[in-house]
Amino acid sequence: MTDIIWGTATKIISTNSFEMNVSHQKDTNNDSYQDIEEIQFTEIDIPSIPADEASRNISEIEQNLKDKFVKCEILGRNSENRLVCAVSHSGAGGY
Amino acid sequence: MWFPQLYDNYNSTYENLISGEIPAIIIPDVFSKSDCKNLCNKILANQNVTSGPGISNKIGTSISSHIYEKSKYFSNARQSNQLIQNIFSSVESPLVIMRKIITDIFQKQISTAIENSMCYSDAVIRIHNDGDSVHLHRDNSNFEMSEYLVSHFENQLSAILYLQSPSNGGELTIFEKKWNKQDEKMRQPKFGYSSDIITNVSQTRIPPVSGNMVILNPKFYHQIESIHGPKQRISIGFFFGELSQNYLCSWA
Repeated sequence: MTDIIWGTATKIISTNSFEMNVSHQKDTNNDSYQDIEEIQFTEIDIPSIPADEASRNISEIEQNLKDKFVKCEILGRNSENRLVCAVSHSGAGGY
Repeated sequence: MWFPQLYDNYNSTYENLISGEIPAIIIPDVFSKSDCKNLCNKILANQNVTSGPGISNKIGTSISSHIYEKSKYFSNARQSNQLIQNIFSSVESPLVIMRKIITDIFQKQISTAIENSMCYSDAVIRIHNDGDSVHLHRDNSNFEMSEYLVSHFENQLSAILYLQSPSNGGELTIFEKKWNKQDEKMRQPKFGYSSDIITNVSQTRIPPVSGNMVILNPKFYHQIESIHGPKQRISIGFFFGELSQNYLCSWA
């Protein structure tokens, strides 16, 4: 099973990475994660952020991702110690 | 003290709700008990009950169920509006009454929002059964629904009409705390926020009296207390915001 963490994107680092405050971890995760992790996203399921990295820019990602609560399905860690994840919107804060 | 205002003194202003000076406006007896009962019989006989964020039984669609699925939302909204119109076919539509009251109180016209010639959902009917509750949350399309035109409307409020009181419980509790971005770290993965966020915060409780309408600022944290007993809590609601100084648009 894939490890999953949730939290808010606090800082956009590049067109494919951001810093996240990890507030929730799936009970059955195989690993544990720091309170602050850097995430590199290989997939992002937020329509306003283009899937093609070349079409993205930082301000667009800040507008659509910064301070948002997201779900990260963890695929591994890269050489920069960033978690490599599939990122998607998570749940709703209200109805 | 932080108490809801009864709409009988005609002093209620939009700004009082936006600023949080008052938690809500209660407008009593906008829909007769007999009309409420007739409508609830039709609602409970309806087979088009679905689930959504924070609720297991509702009729009608809402943008929170389709945050990133705009085309599906508008397609569902068309069907949802027709379905709700059919349910209201034998009585004066509570939506018409609610809109008229909003216009009377705030002196602003109101209609359902339209985006690219597509109509937003008019309203959602929510049915809560014995043991149901709605966890602490806030509603904020400005922040959460940025894909939608309505996310640009300022000064958003929420209107609810209670159609059936439950046997016991089901009060709407509103906390004197408005959401801010930093609160996102207190989010819960599926729905709403950690209750730690409202520790030691003043609150007010509004009983769900059938026929009464409530207008509140949904950016203030709120929750629905547990419903007890065989009678469901049934309500209809929508959000609205300022398209211009004198015109409001609504959606669900």
